Amino acid sequence: MHLFLLQLSNILARMSQNKNSSVLSYEGCKNFRMRIVLATLSGKMVKIKKIRAGNDDPGVNESEASFLRLMDKLTNGTRIEVNETGTSVTYMPGLLAGGRLEHACSKQRGLGYYLEPVMMLAPFCKKPLHLTLHGVTNSQMDPSVDQLKHSCLPILRRYLLLADEQLQLKIVRRGMAPGGGGQVFFSCPVQRTLRATQWLDPGKIKRIRGVAYAARVSPAMSSRMVDSAKAVLLKFLPDVYIYTDHYKGEMAGKSPGFGISLVAETTTGCMMTSDVTSQPQGAEGPPSVPEELGTSAAHLLLDEVYRGGCVDSLAQSMMLLYMSLGQKDVSKVKLGQLTPYTIEFLRHLRDSFQTVFRIENVIPTEEEEDLNTGGGKLTLTCLGAGFSNLSKTVS
Amino acid sequence: MGEDDFPDSKKRHTKRAAGRKADKKKQKEQHQQELTAKQRNPKAFAFRSAVSAARTLRRSQDIKERKTHIPVIDRTPLEPPPIVIGVVGPPKVGKSTLVQCLIKNFTRKTLTNIQGPVTIVSAKKRRLTFIECNNDINCMIDLAKVVDLVLLLVDASFGFEMETFEFLNICQVHGFPRVMGVLTHLDMFKDVKKMRKTKKTLKHRFWTDVYPGAKLFYLSGMVHGDYQRMEVHNLGRFISVMKFRPLTWKQAHPYILADRMEDLTPAEEVRQNPKCDRRISLYGYVRGVPLKPDAPIHIPGAGDFRVAALDFLPDPCPLPERSTKSRRSLTERDKSMYAPMSGVGGIVYDKDAVYIELGGSHSHSKKPPADVSADPAGAGADGREEHEDEEEDEDKQLVSSLMTSQHTIDQKMEEAQLRLFSGQQPISSQDAAMKLHYETVSENDGRKRRRVLFDDAEDGQEDGEEGEEGAEEDGESAEEDGGESDKDEGESEEDGEDEDGDVSMEEDAEEAESSLLSVPARSSAGRSSAGREDSEEDSDEESEDEEAAPLKPTAPVPRQNARQLHRLIYGAEPGSSDGAEPEGDTEDQEVGGLFRVVRAEQRDRSGRDEVDRTLPAAGAANLRDWTTEEGRGCIADCFVTGEWKESENASTLLAMDDDGLDSDELDGDFEDMETGEKHQGTAGAAAEAEDGEGEEGDDEMPVHKEKEQLTRKQIIEKKKKLKAMFDAEYDDKEGSSFYDDLKRDLDQQAQLNRSEFDGVEDELRVQFEGYRPGMYVRLEVAAVPCELVAHFDPTYPLIVGGLTTGEENIGYVQARIKRHRWYGRTLKTRDPLIVSLGWRRFQTLPLYSIQDHNGRNRLLKYTPDHLHCTAHFWGPVTPQGTGLLALQSVSAATAAFRVAATGTVLDLDKSAQVVKKLKLVGTPHKVMKKTAFIQGMFTSTLEAAKFEGALCRTVSGVRGQLKKALTAKPAGLVRATFEDHIKMSDVVFVRTWYPMEVARLYAPVTSLLLPPAEKARWQGMKTVGQLKRERGIRVEPNPDQLYTPVERKARQPRPLKVPAALQRQLPYAERAKLGATEGNTLGGPSQPRERVAVVLQPREQKVMKMLNTLRATYDVQQQKRRGLAQDRAKKMVEKRKEDIERFEKRQKRVRKHVYKMLALNAGGGKRGGGGGGGGGGAGR
Repeated sequence: MHLFLLQLSNILARMSQNKNSSVLSYEGCKNFRMRIVLATLSGKMVKIKKIRAGNDDPGVNESEASFLRLMDKLTNGTRIEVNETGTSVTYMPGLLAGGRLEHACSKQRGLGYYLEPVMMLAPFCKKPLHLTLHGVTNSQMDPSVDQLKHSCLPILRRYLLLADEQLQLKIVRRGMAPGGGGQVFFSCPVQRTLRATQWLDPGKIKRIRGVAYAARVSPAMSSRMVDSAKAVLLKFLPDVYIYTDHYKGEMAGKSPGFGISLVAETTTGCMMTSDVTSQPQGAEGPPSVPEELGTSAAHLLLDEVYRGGCVDSLAQSMMLLYMSLGQKDVSKVKLGQLTPYTIEFLRHLRDSFQTVFRIENVIPTEEEEDLNTGGGKLTLTCLGAGFSNLSKTVS
Repeated sequence: MGEDDFPDSKKRHTKRAAGRKADKKKQKEQHQQELTAKQRNPKAFAFRSAVSAARTLRRSQDIKERKTHIPVIDRTPLEPPPIVIGVVGPPKVGKSTLVQCLIKNFTRKTLTNIQGPVTIVSAKKRRLTFIECNNDINCMIDLAKVVDLVLLLVDASFGFEMETFEFLNICQVHGFPRVMGVLTHLDMFKDVKKMRKTKKTLKHRFWTDVYPGAKLFYLSGMVHGDYQRMEVHNLGRFISVMKFRPLTWKQAHPYILADRMEDLTPAEEVRQNPKCDRRISLYGYVRGVPLKPDAPIHIPGAGDFRVAALDFLPDPCPLPERSTKSRRSLTERDKSMYAPMSGVGGIVYDKDAVYIELGGSHSHSKKPPADVSADPAGAGADGREEHEDEEEDEDKQLVSSLMTSQHTIDQKMEEAQLRLFSGQQPISSQDAAMKLHYETVSENDGRKRRRVLFDDAEDGQEDGEEGEEGAEEDGESAEEDGGESDKDEGESEEDGEDEDGDVSMEEDAEEAESSLLSVPARSSAGRSSAGREDSEEDSDEESEDEEAAPLKPTAPVPRQNARQLHRLIYGAEPGSSDGAEPEGDTEDQEVGGLFRVVRAEQRDRSGRDEVDRTLPAAGAANLRDWTTEEGRGCIADCFVTGEWKESENASTLLAMDDDGLDSDELDGDFEDMETGEKHQGTAGAAAEAEDGEGEEGDDEMPVHKEKEQLTRKQIIEKKKKLKAMFDAEYDDKEGSSFYDDLKRDLDQQAQLNRSEFDGVEDELRVQFEGYRPGMYVRLEVAAVPCELVAHFDPTYPLIVGGLTTGEENIGYVQARIKRHRWYGRTLKTRDPLIVSLGWRRFQTLPLYSIQDHNGRNRLLKYTPDHLHCTAHFWGPVTPQGTGLLALQSVSAATAAFRVAATGTVLDLDKSAQVVKKLKLVGTPHKVMKKTAFIQGMFTSTLEAAKFEGALCRTVSGVRGQLKKALTAKPAGLVRATFEDHIKMSDVVFVRTWYPMEVARLYAPVTSLLLPPAEKARWQGMKTVGQLKRERGIRVEPNPDQLYTPVERKARQPRPLKVPAALQRQLPYAERAKLGATEGNTLGGPSQPRERVAVVLQPREQKVMKMLNTLRATYDVQQQKRRGLAQDRAKKMVEKRKEDIERFEKRQKRVRKHVYKMLALNAGGGKRGGGGGGGGGGAGR
């Protein structure tokens, strides 16, 4: 018996040696979220060292810590080890649990910072996710919740087969930058596997919608933004409608602010979004002018249109993630210019799933030659990693 | 009224002999012959009963529905790997003979000593790998996971043996490959009738286990120790045409059935420490799905590993080349065979060495002496080196001379470097190989592509001047245009890309990222050089400008070059092998290919801690000028209001609508015909453009003239055809169901999977796809236990199973499990069990449980009979729905059925919730009305406090609740309330659930690591029972738990005592008449009391006598007096009777008189009433 146990411990020791090879190690806080997200999905341990090591304020900051806490809530069996100075984080992922959760996010960053990775993970939980997040709904730094709703949610809906009512993203309360006080409800059903998709036709933009909101400021702000945005957009398309949304009292969060979020929908259901938020209260620099915001939002949208592709630059990484998580089949997508974030994401995808995308320039056909459809497009092709949701219970 | 009443006035029917109707009739009869019976006589075919018709329909639908399967994507590639055929059966049933016969049948070669898999080419598009399964259950399990077809051999003269059914069960669990039964030893039957009967019974038994109608093959007898040629030939034909349905596990996991293994460990290391971990290389065809380099793998019988290196080799057993003349059979030359473990395969080229088989007939003819090189180490481990006697010495000399060198020639060649210019990085042999590759690519791609890359390199260098110095140097050399073309002209640009491109990659990355990846455009071959591409703007300029002023939309459109992007993202140039690192990364090279780019980039301190944001900062975005008209113009066609493609153009569509035709289904002729007729104009022009032939406008007229020659009839015909197509598409819509749609989608996907990377060079393709199935690969595995090499036995299959994401982890697995009904014993919770799950075989300690209605997993001590239960164990994470097989032992040589249980994985988690029922028992310490204090349930107040509010119950069924833990003695006392008064004699219990811990034991069955003699006798953890039995330990039973004869005492009811006060209050009759004796029992004396004899004194006797006399006289007197009194009373009664009679007589008389008077008065007049009254009164 003793001899056997010795053998056994040898075996286990050998196995643990083997296990070590599947550790991802990185340095610096750059791409912190995507590292954690991909580690969670791939089940690999991730070690991030030298986080702001040379900085005056070393270690993980409040928003990253809050994100780690959220991940802890979202998963079961996750072990997170942060060293004393906070400059190194070891993350041993558990399995995604999901369920009914609530999390107060750090006000340093907008809710988009938290929501974006959560949206990537949500379909792979054990139980359908019902998440309530508290914090800053619209910030200048992060994609706003409106933008995520119009850009990422349709992609999620495309991949989830049973997504009808369960998949929703609701802004319960708006909360602007310094004070926060916003509330967002996100729910998502679970999915076992993803099917490969080929999405090559971006179509043409048929309508532009948007929402201009103002919280704790004069309601006239939103209509001023709408007017200036429409002035730009109506030159392209008559079907432009921008809702105005005014928030008062509790619904308006704790700080004043306003902003506008635009979405252009194409004939094939692709979404291009842009989002602009006013300067937060007490920030340096001149206060925002609604007309300027409206115009710049419209210009950003046109930029996005110029970039083109089947998904906008915000949703690129999510789209690529789902493509590489598909079954062992070929997925294709047409994209515009890749953002730096997407490029980082592609690298990380290779680290954790060994997915390498084939990137090709789209060479316009003779018919398309003369059309003015903005910048050059790319086709990204990959073979799925054959990912399956290991958390979901079957009966 | 009869018919006869009326004369028949109607005209008789006469058949028309001529005229329209007659013609019609004639016409009809002509077609009569063409009609089917059903059409001619529909009534005969009409159903008579709606019920039976409905039943028939239902039945036919049922049958139809049963035939449908969930469509799956068939991921077999264009050139699939050989089909694995496992020959399975109990010993001495003829497995080896069958394999030999089949090989002989296909290749016309005899292979006497078969070891390991044998691959042969069986048909023009089919290869087969035969592998014989030995009688070890480990082998059976492993093989069942990889075989595509099983030849299940059964000794018909003996009947089915346990192995057959065990194997079938294993197959059922692991996906069920195709199974074909083969009955052998049929010549042992002397009686034909008996044989026929046996065949029939065996067939039907086989059908119940496989499927009804499964093929069972009969090998009737032997000729010279072989099976009959025709029978084997037929069996071969069956195998050759067999089709396979993709199995879920195999379609999701890559795997390799290794047909060769080499030890790569340096001989010196082995000499120093024979037990050192080895590095081995395995060879085989990739099967299933593409295998990625650096993938986690599992070798069943050895453990989990990671692929250290992976590359593909030329196919050792290739399919015949597609020859121009279509011959149906294979030529003799194409009938190749490959079986390295059995010593067949000729010369094998490899990365490290060239292997020559010295045994067999090949060594004489094929061996070129120059190629001889040595196996680096330990090649003698397998039985390949069977030296021919005469050649042995020569070979040994040669080999020993080569052994002296440390490296093989190939390795040396590989490591050799050539430096062309000083200050430049040397070129290795791999680079040279890469160049060759690029040359071929460049031919296809054209020159322009390369030129732009060079431009980019320039940009990179200009930008990179702030960067590292080494890069700058290279940049400068490249900046001069001649710098690159110094070298060989033909490969100048590509070389530049290799050398400079890699160096400047980092700069590229930063620069491009900082400027939002606006890399200058390249002019692609297919694209006409529009004005936007004429002037190329440097990206550094751009990045400087972008914050100052918005870009002019008319300026050259910044585009991302795909190849540059690939380089930017993944570092290495596509096509270069993994080993080719960018030169800037030399320190990082040893880290391994995976993290290279990230690290290199992270060396840059500033980039490392960049803010994590999805979208670039608003200021950084290169806003274009959208205010000007021309600025807006460049995206005008992104909107529905803009220009459309010609094919989508509204006018084109309209024109096509007019024709009522679909553009896709048209051939050019017809379209032009239509336009040629009348509709000249936009529609016509559009249709012209559709042609795609690039016909110029000038040619229009002649074309049209030509087309006009089509006759009217032809047009009508064409229209008819189109209409039929239209109808087929739209009218038959009901036929296309969800099922059909899904099937079509999946077919399309399968098609795309095959075609997407088709035509891409293999070196490049493996980067995107991984090593696709059908490729022959060489796979290196590091840190393999030395036992695998030392105790290698080719008869044991060596399988490399690829693991997908997450499967390398270990967690709690929840499985639905059922004890096999043929397994003799029940399984006990927490007894070690050997489980085969996924690729793995391992021992673990499961907990059995059953799910209650509220979802609670209640622990079971034993598996239930004929019922599923849940098993929780600590094991490898395997996708849900994977089959699972359990054995109690792989070693025990038992006659009984060995498969203990089967099941499927339901859930995976990092924690397990199994609970055990626990009853806490206590007794009343004190009982108040409905409150009682319970003792003995808890040991401390703290413990008791945890259970406040818990529900409890007494044995008699009185329910209650624990209210409060008390600090009073005895410790653990609780106050509880009940719905009724409980007795002191009651037992109170609380039902609780105790969480069970699943033991974290996961011990892979390392059967391949054992010495050959012990391979089949792997022994893991033993059960407690086994250990006790071995050591003769007997459990001392708790005497309380033993059964003893029950002794029942007769019941002694306690006497009832009625309180004196109560007695007093009772009426005398109710009172207990017990006298004043003590022990006053109310129940009455059960036995007569003993009376005390009274002896009287004489005086007393006298007195007594006197008294008695007096009493007697008194009694007599009394009797007399009573008699007299009675007489008196009688007389009195009579007297009174007479008095009453008398009185009544008088009364009657008086009454008579009175009425008479009254009657008189009444007859007298009106006053009679009154007078009567008065008279009455007077009468009294």
